[in-house]
Amino acid sequence: MKIRFRKLKFGSVMALAVAALFISFIVGVVIGAVHVDPDWILKIVVNEISGREVFQPEWSSSNEAIIWELRIPRVLLALLVGVGLSLSGVLMQALTKNSLADPYVLGISSGASAGAVLVIMTSALAFMPKYRTMAGAFAGAVLAIIIAVKCATIHNRVTATQLVLSGVAVSALFSAITNVIIYCSPESSKTKTALFWMVGSLSGATWEQVIAISVICLVCVVLMLLLSSSLDVLMLGDETASNLGLNIRRIKFLIIILCTVLTGSIVAVSGVIGFVGLVIPHIARLFVGSTHRKLIPATILIGGVFVIWSDIISRVIVAPEELPIGVVTSCIGAPFFLWLLRKNSRSLGGK
Amino acid sequence: MKLKVKDLQYGVVDLNILNGIDAVVDNGEFVGMIGPNGCGKSTMLKCVYRALTPDGGDIELDGRSIRAFSNRELAREMSVMIQENHVEFDMTVMDMVLLGRYAHKKVFSGTDQNDREIAREALSKVGMLEYEERSFLHLSGGEKQRILIARALAQKANFIVLDEPTNHLDIKYQYQIMNVLTKEDVTVFSSVHDLNIAAQYCDKIILLYKGKVVDYGTPEDVITEQNIRDYFGVNAQVTINPITKKVQVYYLP
Repeated sequence: MKIRFRKLKFGSVMALAVAALFISFIVGVVIGAVHVDPDWILKIVVNEISGREVFQPEWSSSNEAIIWELRIPRVLLALLVGVGLSLSGVLMQALTKNSLADPYVLGISSGASAGAVLVIMTSALAFMPKYRTMAGAFAGAVLAIIIAVKCATIHNRVTATQLVLSGVAVSALFSAITNVIIYCSPESSKTKTALFWMVGSLSGATWEQVIAISVICLVCVVLMLLLSSSLDVLMLGDETASNLGLNIRRIKFLIIILCTVLTGSIVAVSGVIGFVGLVIPHIARLFVGSTHRKLIPATILIGGVFVIWSDIISRVIVAPEELPIGVVTSCIGAPFFLWLLRKNSRSLGGK
Repeated sequence: MKLKVKDLQYGVVDLNILNGIDAVVDNGEFVGMIGPNGCGKSTMLKCVYRALTPDGGDIELDGRSIRAFSNRELAREMSVMIQENHVEFDMTVMDMVLLGRYAHKKVFSGTDQNDREIAREALSKVGMLEYEERSFLHLSGGEKQRILIARALAQKANFIVLDEPTNHLDIKYQYQIMNVLTKEDVTVFSSVHDLNIAAQYCDKIILLYKGKVVDYGTPEDVITEQNIRDYFGVNAQVTINPITKKVQVYYLP
């Protein structure tokens, strides 16, 4: 099984993935209640970016608004969320050397949920109405990770197992806090908003969000590529890695920072979308192996495609209603992961 | 002089594992460390490769305290081969050996042709060249061990520390690994389980017992019937093998 996948050359895997990403983008923009002609997309993008009518509009201005203001940002945000969560998954799996690790393993998601729900349910941060949920989520994420890392640090060292365990505990703590806040809240409309946020959603994507997240992703991708051989070495375990010349403390610190920034900012805009960060790195490994120089680009592309399609499905399946995207990613991701586990038990921790 | 260990102390809670160890490994020597289980061999080696911080004493490499080295600097001077069972994610044998080149790379300089040459050369020394593209996790214990030796060789340090390198290996590969190590132009410091292997390959032997060096010298000096009875608790006959001219141990019931 694995051998057959690996027969594909890295270059052809990447070419296929880029093509898939392009097609996914087009489909993502075209599908929806309002009909859109695929060749309008490029023309509208050119017109909007240049600020002139380079192409004669053959569409109504409301069509243009739907494509430019709603659909394109949404598809791009889906892409970025996929990239960011998958990369965080790669980082966390390298940090904990555990194939079950995902971006949320240190409690980021629970922390973010607690922060966001607190802000939604109360009038906290009322001075910045547009960004208050986001700010609350990000603050919660950072708080959770600080607690987890602090508790896992014993004798100035952070070991993988302690990190995972303290992450589990911090997660439980913040989930409890979230539940208390929801339970104590009298207003049921706010409860629905909070629950919707907690399973993740990409509706309401804006260009501001897209630009902010893409800058963060870009910086993190560059840093990760610079660190790729260090990440490879770290996978061998702390003792071996330091014998091979790796500065363990520095790399762990960098990974935690990168992961917090990536996951924290993504969760702040999209809510907690599950399974992406766990499954995508494993799928990418199946195609290109575990070395990060190849794994990182493959993860970026596959993660982007996966979340774009999950978003498409979430929009289509119960149209005109919308399913939270987190439900879709878990529904696709979980069975797929189980299949992967059986097919490839060896590289997923089997003996 | 390559490695100098001065009055090394290490303990956990109220148990002293190393009680003031002094040892010297000279340039180009193959020094073996023997002793019964629990005598402190692994602990001593862990102090040398800095997995443990000693409670007292010092270790110098080429006259410089090992505490003064950065991990990268140390990895260029000293490569370490220990038992590893932590690898969770699969990679090819070639990628595994190439990780030995980490300390020599600059940030973001990828694997170049030179690194691959070195890795192939190391693989062929341990007789694993044809395994280059195989997956590491699917190898047998002995095969993995030989790949780890190849990785240590690819590190191109001129001092190699090994913790029982021939454990789990078939007899053929035990001798192959030791032959490879003696042929390399390096200084070797290794714990050795098998006294006959130690006698065959080591220039000097350190005998450790209850965290102390109780004997040190050539195999003829250290591997004696008396020492084996006193420290290993076994009666033995020690002779000189007529073919190898080395010490040979026969254990007696």
